[in-house]
Amino acid sequence: MAALTGNDFDAIKAKVQGGAKNWIKVGMSTCGIAAGAGKTYRVLEDELSKQGHPVSLLTCGCLGMCYAEPLVEVCIEGLPRVVYCRVSEECAREIVRGHVMGRKLLQDYILAMHYEEAFS
Amino acid sequence: MSEKTVLLQDTTAGSTTGTSDFFGVFKAALRESDLADNVRLVRVADMGVYNQGVVMTILPENITYANVEAHDIKRIIGVTLKHGNPVKDLLYQPKFRQMRLVLKNCGRLDPGSIDDYIAADGYRALLKAVEQKTPDEVIAELKASGLRGRGGGGYSTGLKWQFTREAAGELKYVICNADEGDPGAYMDRSVLEGNPHSVIEGMLLAGYAIGSSQGFFYIRAEYPLAIERVQKALDQARERGLLGNHILGSDFSMDIEIRLGAGAFVCGEETALIASIEGKRGTPVPRPPYPSVRGLWGMPTCINNVETLANVAPILLHGADWFAGIGTQTSKGTKVFALTGKVRNSGLVEVPMGTTLREIVFDIGGGIASGRAFKAVQTGGPSGGVIPEKYLDTPVDYDNLQKLGSIMGSGGMIVMDECDCMVDIAKFYIKFCVDESCGKCAPCRIGGYQILNILEGITQGRGTLQDLDRLILIARAMKMGSLCGLGQTAANPVISTLAYFEDEYREHIVNRRCPARKCRALLEFNIIRHLCKKCGLCARACPEKAITGDREHGYSIDTEKCIHCGVCFDVCKFSAVERI
Amino acid sequence: MIQATINQKPVTVPEGTSILQAARQVQVKIPTLCHHPDLPPTAACGICIVRIEGTKKMLRACCTPIENGMKIITHDPEIVEVRRTVLELILSNHPNDCLKCGRNQSCELQNLAADFGIREELFTKFIGGIPKDDSTNAFVIEPDKCIHCGRCIEICQEIQGVWALSFLGRGFNSRFAPAAGQKVGDSPCVVCGQCASHCPTGAIFEKDDTLKVWQELQNPDTFCVVQIAPVVRVAIGEAFGMPPGTNATGKLYTVLRRLGFNAVFDTSFAADVTINEEATEFVERFVNGKGPLPLITSCCPSWVIYLEKQVPDMVDYFSSCKSPQQISGLLTKTYYAEKMGIDPSKIVVVSIMPCTSKKTELTRTEEMFASGYQDVDYSLTTRELARMIKQTGKDFVNLPDSEPDHMLGDYTGAGVIFGTTGGVMEAALRSAYSFITGEKLGALEFEDIRGLKGVKELSVEIAGRRVNVAVAHGLGNVMSVLNRVREARAKGEPSPYDFIEVMACPGGCAGGGGQPYGVTDDIRAKRAQGLYQDDRDKQFRLSHENPYVQKLYAEFLGEPLSHKAHELLHTHYVKRMPG
Repeated sequence: MAALTGNDFDAIKAKVQGGAKNWIKVGMSTCGIAAGAGKTYRVLEDELSKQGHPVSLLTCGCLGMCYAEPLVEVCIEGLPRVVYCRVSEECAREIVRGHVMGRKLLQDYILAMHYEEAFS
Repeated sequence: MSEKTVLLQDTTAGSTTGTSDFFGVFKAALRESDLADNVRLVRVADMGVYNQGVVMTILPENITYANVEAHDIKRIIGVTLKHGNPVKDLLYQPKFRQMRLVLKNCGRLDPGSIDDYIAADGYRALLKAVEQKTPDEVIAELKASGLRGRGGGGYSTGLKWQFTREAAGELKYVICNADEGDPGAYMDRSVLEGNPHSVIEGMLLAGYAIGSSQGFFYIRAEYPLAIERVQKALDQARERGLLGNHILGSDFSMDIEIRLGAGAFVCGEETALIASIEGKRGTPVPRPPYPSVRGLWGMPTCINNVETLANVAPILLHGADWFAGIGTQTSKGTKVFALTGKVRNSGLVEVPMGTTLREIVFDIGGGIASGRAFKAVQTGGPSGGVIPEKYLDTPVDYDNLQKLGSIMGSGGMIVMDECDCMVDIAKFYIKFCVDESCGKCAPCRIGGYQILNILEGITQGRGTLQDLDRLILIARAMKMGSLCGLGQTAANPVISTLAYFEDEYREHIVNRRCPARKCRALLEFNIIRHLCKKCGLCARACPEKAITGDREHGYSIDTEKCIHCGVCFDVCKFSAVERI
Repeated sequence: MIQATINQKPVTVPEGTSILQAARQVQVKIPTLCHHPDLPPTAACGICIVRIEGTKKMLRACCTPIENGMKIITHDPEIVEVRRTVLELILSNHPNDCLKCGRNQSCELQNLAADFGIREELFTKFIGGIPKDDSTNAFVIEPDKCIHCGRCIEICQEIQGVWALSFLGRGFNSRFAPAAGQKVGDSPCVVCGQCASHCPTGAIFEKDDTLKVWQELQNPDTFCVVQIAPVVRVAIGEAFGMPPGTNATGKLYTVLRRLGFNAVFDTSFAADVTINEEATEFVERFVNGKGPLPLITSCCPSWVIYLEKQVPDMVDYFSSCKSPQQISGLLTKTYYAEKMGIDPSKIVVVSIMPCTSKKTELTRTEEMFASGYQDVDYSLTTRELARMIKQTGKDFVNLPDSEPDHMLGDYTGAGVIFGTTGGVMEAALRSAYSFITGEKLGALEFEDIRGLKGVKELSVEIAGRRVNVAVAHGLGNVMSVLNRVREARAKGEPSPYDFIEVMACPGGCAGGGGQPYGVTDDIRAKRAQGLYQDDRDKQFRLSHENPYVQKLYAEFLGEPLSHKAHELLHTHYVKRMPG
């Protein structure tokens, strides 16, 4: 791959931001994996393929809410972007069936976060 | 009107006001207002706001209300849900919030994708530096920002870089100290796992500033995932020409490699860490000379902690003034804490310097999980100390914590409740230091062992009041006489528990009693007749056959035979075994 | 220069001077346990703490360079209390074996405990209970007495480059031992004894053979012979309060006779024999091409072990000539026994050596039994002899001088300088020059190869050819010299050196591992000066001019490298891979 130069930065940014509109992110750091995020990820993968919905399944690091792992962030066009916590196998399936396919936010699983970003 | 979402705090996470009812009432009100189809009402697991009654957030306006009562519903529906305006007197106005600087992109972007990082303005600070700034300007910016080392020492990062730059040496090295070892601290692990490129960028900037062409990640081998992700990030960076020769088309060239720590806490001490990279036994050597003058293989070496390095790129991108505007007079920026122990929400929190302990423990952490009384918070890991309730309103920064007899340390924060025995806590930490002492210098090697022995005695009912004098004597000798930070601070947990909880020590010694009922050797176990269901479980579980009786007459404990193991207490399903 | 004050007294010292060194200038002795002037500070004990006026923190004087304007306080009540506590902590981890410890009255920990007036034990005693290691004939290791000062490891690794000792384990369970916890006899150890002579306590101590020697002395059936090594004469006086370097040869002969030895010989005589053989060997290789160059000296047994274990590819360069100790013993049980008509089976030869390694040389190979008996029966260190003398209550300092027994006792100046680094080379060059040219050197003294520099080089012209020599002492300095030889060999070039002298201990035998405690470079230099003075005072200063040596060859050996000389005076070496 060619060495990066200053000119490439904007193009990469545009490419990434223009990427998938519908996605699910699973926190896969040590804390998440210890709480079962690996299983959660596999279940999501399985359920998504069963349902055939074109959603990108992504991984990310630790959000800091280690007490609430596994954490799954869901972004579906037209619905608020939310983070689900303590996502069990059943919950993972419900995320695909209820949230992705049924376009309904799940009750009792959302973790709201209150923090300010130091810079944007 | 457009679709709205109401996120509502659930009872289990909220208060005593009973939001289940509230949920129903709200739902009914929506139906009445014909909004049931346009408003999604969602009960959340956790709103992250505590002791504020019913809390709700309305999207897409992102308006949050706290302490909402049933009679407020009407106004909320009328003003906010129908017209998108806030009900001003209900607005949740936090005194402070977490502020994400280091953790900003952790949990947001894919650590395995360099493009994700670049899209989040990653490596822009490096680009800016190599294109527009001289190394001296980079250092000046860092000095002006007031960034201090996040590994525990709190030394000015800019000054450290300057000394390394000024030191003579044909080669210079940058080392990222990722040998995070304090019990309960894992901020660095999360950063390395969640956003490894931010640390790599920090190292590259350090290399550019001091004139180094080689960097090392020293990561403890117990962090396999972090190692894997850092390695992948390094490979990607190399592939993109962000490591190697002529980085971003400039004259700056640098590469970075990983070295693994083999499980010694003391290797987090910089001179021991250097010895370890050199392949030697990881023991500290006297400073000066500091590594900035004579470090790795005798060359000037800049060692920074993971979190420190993760701060560097944002500072250079957004400027020293911006960074210096966050925090307190002496401590700038934010600090990530690993909040653990008896707290409800254990995890990582990042707050501006100057946030009070109470805010961190109660407002962010949600207070004590069990609902029992708060007793103390321990900061700074084995080098730190405990801070009791009365100092909870202290704004956290390097200097304030030191005044309280603790330290900032790397950011471990362990919350303790009334069931935690302070002698036992001190014993835990000193045991840790005894296990981790390299054994090189006498005060730490023998002093720690002697303290542990004395504390063992106290928790087992063999303590004497002279032991307290001995503890002070040894603690002072360790503080004054030890060679490295580990030994100098190893006695801090003892000193601070003694300072704030001397009564608890005396209770153990004089009355042979552990007020927290933690020290089993000091407990007497007794079966409460009227609660006993005569099931016999305790008798079967007792390893010493100290519980006699039968299912007809009930059971009792022979205190002569009892070894205070507590199995009976643990197995009894009817709380019929008491500890006195 | 740095200007600072120590206890309000101004000091001016060069940059880089430690607070500890600077304090000595104003007559302040800051107590220490781990510091040793030979070694870089390990900063292990925590006793030497001082503070900067007006600050709380304490610094270690041993490893902190004094800075301009520093105001140092070396003693205040708190400093003394911390020092006392650290000392009590160390004592809580040290057995109370003083009365039966080899270092009783020469122990730095004991001295400190005395200074601090320790009368009772403040802390619970915890002793590791690690077994003794007596797997070599040279010294015994008692890990329980170790105070973790790290001196032995520092000298073994950094100065000697042997790496036999290191710290194992960590924390309270850390201990010093050979790598992987093997016995020291199975380790790369070369038994130079530098660890023992640098140990502040009794954790490493020479194997004491004095009782056996006392038994031989009272056995009416034996004929006890003693030989004293060159450098013992200028060091033993230190044990009796004499200044280092004082030549006590005559007093030694006297005291040894009074101890009951039937004959008193001098190893310096045997050194003269060694030179006759070795210089001839050099001439054979250098002039006549009979054998490879460089020739490497082999009279230091630790060096022999080191080379056999660590540098086996160089074994062929070794001089095959035995060491003076062995030659002296051999000649005693052959030549002397024959001439005096004594049954050699009744002769007991005791050597007084500056060295722990000589104890192991006694049985190194079967060639050490060339007389038909063990050529030397016991080897005592200088320290052991000093103890024997003290046991007799003899007033060593005021003893009269006497002569050695002739035949194997009279020595030349060349023989006596064997006891210091560069001495063997100098003695060999003096004779080799004569052997090659048939003339006598004008100036006998080779200043270039004297002194304490780690590696010394010299190029002299003999009969129109340049002879390049190197002298190394302190095993850590050896490899740089040998690597130059290897590099040349790999390139097919002639060796950069024709002749190499190596002595294992820093300063050579003058700083030997069996010498009186407290050695520093200053003392090493003074001992060497004592030997050079003896050399200058001698009538004969070339080994081959020693009339008794000439007589020995005429009556017994024939000529250097003769068949008989080969059989009796030479040995061979084996390649022992490390392990």
